[in-house]
Amino acid sequence: MSEKIEIGPFHTELEESVYFKLEVDEHRMVEKVEIINGFIHRGMESLVTKKNFMQNLILTERVCSLCSNNHPMTYAMAVEKISGITIPLRAEALRVVADEVKRVASDMFNLSMLTHIAHTHELMKDTMNTREHMQDLKEVIWGNRMDMSSNLLTGTKYDLDDRKVKIILDTLDTVEPKIRDLKERYENDEELKTKTVGVGVLPLEDALEIGVTGPVARGSGINNDVRVMAPYGLYAYRPELQPNVTLSLRKEGDVHARAMARFGDILEAVRIIRDVVADMPEGDTYVDKRPHIPAGEAVVRTEAPRGELIYYLKTDGSQKPVRMRWKVPTFTNWEALKVMILGDKVDNVTMILNSIDPCISCTDR
Amino acid sequence: MSEVVPKLFRINTGSCNGCDVEFMPTILVEKFGVSTLGVEMVEDIKDANIIAITGPLTARSESFLKSAVGKIRHPYVVVGVGTCAVTCGIFRDSYAINGPTDKIVDVNVNVAGCPPRPQSIAEGIAKGIKVLNQVMNGEDIPKTIDTIFKDFSAPESFRGRMDLNPDMCTACRTCETVCPSTAIKITEIAQGHVHNIWHNSCCYCGNCAYFCPTGAIFSTNSFDTVKLQSEKFEDVNSEIIKPSDCSSCGDSYMPPSRGLLGKGYVHDDVKKLDTTICSKCRKEANFKRMYA
Repeated sequence: MSEKIEIGPFHTELEESVYFKLEVDEHRMVEKVEIINGFIHRGMESLVTKKNFMQNLILTERVCSLCSNNHPMTYAMAVEKISGITIPLRAEALRVVADEVKRVASDMFNLSMLTHIAHTHELMKDTMNTREHMQDLKEVIWGNRMDMSSNLLTGTKYDLDDRKVKIILDTLDTVEPKIRDLKERYENDEELKTKTVGVGVLPLEDALEIGVTGPVARGSGINNDVRVMAPYGLYAYRPELQPNVTLSLRKEGDVHARAMARFGDILEAVRIIRDVVADMPEGDTYVDKRPHIPAGEAVVRTEAPRGELIYYLKTDGSQKPVRMRWKVPTFTNWEALKVMILGDKVDNVTMILNSIDPCISCTDR
Repeated sequence: MSEVVPKLFRINTGSCNGCDVEFMPTILVEKFGVSTLGVEMVEDIKDANIIAITGPLTARSESFLKSAVGKIRHPYVVVGVGTCAVTCGIFRDSYAINGPTDKIVDVNVNVAGCPPRPQSIAEGIAKGIKVLNQVMNGEDIPKTIDTIFKDFSAPESFRGRMDLNPDMCTACRTCETVCPSTAIKITEIAQGHVHNIWHNSCCYCGNCAYFCPTGAIFSTNSFDTVKLQSEKFEDVNSEIIKPSDCSSCGDSYMPPSRGLLGKGYVHDDVKKLDTTICSKCRKEANFKRMYA
């Protein structure tokens, strides 16, 4: 006997609107899964062709507010590729700092949502409070808790002086021991482990076949971090900055492994910020406020907090892009959900969804 | 006078998830003060009496929002969280947007911001509770409600409500060009130019301030963006940029700022240029200086 269950689209445990149609057997195990999305479709690809290049700096930020530094950065890299502009090394360094700060905050948010759904209240509270330090940092340096607006077409809008560097380092000094402590607790907390270990397993073979990226891939033992495999920006100039992915790699492929892979990412991000800030290149932060953009095409990829982000941009020499398309990390990770959810308990569905850190606004756009 | 127990439910109608992400710490982190309001999060929309709506209302969500709203029991209060929910903000021109949400439901409180700070969201919820209490007791909803959380502050660097210094502005329309959410509008009238900033459409990105050649438009650190629905179209920063009379021919003209002149006359000492004459007279003066 099978029962049909619907979850969504508006649900307290779903950060964004998705619609699950599930069929479960008498033991409440999922037999069939259908995931319906499109609720967040805002017509982004049409919208970017209506706005000029300067407006798109901000519009791409609003594709998804959790990776809101990666989107404009990748877009700016695509424009720079078309214009043939090499941006100053200092701008590259500033971009990396903004990017890694966002990565820490984004991954921390996902972890706190995991513990929120798992009802491990103490862990959730501590993760959320630790994340607040990063949010405050973003507000002090960039002026907003989510959308930092730090990128410019040929560099960055912001600059770091000694006072700001000190604020960053002080925040990292308070946050890092807390993260290490949290990592220890996530690793050993019995309540969390019973709820997450062995849940939503994505075996290595399936992960390879589907082509998952980011922490989902690292949770299943695949290293395809773009910062290492195809270094861009400052990672290409200074290979020692590239993250040591072995710290994030896990073999188990379950919800717990993906959470621990995120901890690896966070700690590496903290290390990268420290390294960049300690040795800031001198020079300008941008080349030209409003560059000339000729006709051309470009494809650029970067590593967002959720995995590989690819931008395709086509221009015709006018003030607006002709075509802009992007492949977001959740697009591939989404397919893995079907493998993870099938044969698992129906009560775990929202937790498994959360474990791929879904960015539905990126995917639907 | 009876007090109601506020029961909160959040609906995402297609936001970029910024407001939803900020909504969670607002509820879960103690320092934002929502716990002092006695708010309860409910699992089912049928039990809720405060609905927080985020997002610009995509075409796909519209029918689901309608059916969800049909399930809520009266009386209830709707808090629109984020610029998108208030005016669709940056997504307004898209084919996939059917919003803003006040087309479908009666919104009571608007929280502008992109995304709003948790402090603003908490303020919005607090004002929503106040309105709910008034509705329950059959009182009229006031035109404005004073700030409830008075001890929240923002760092100096926070990008809040934009402001304009009309003396510096030369109506060059750079801000209008770079503004992604068409919140800035400059119109020419007989007395000069009117410069309008609609705070409920602004996405607080700071593009205008960054690209402004004269530094006339700037962001303050004010996050006072929680307004009642009746104030939705009135929350506009409006300034008149007055022209001057040319000291040579007497025509009225828009005086250029030193910053703009510096860009035009790269090889000259800007301080020595006469800024009290109109562009026509300046062309003549320059011609004479060079060739006479």
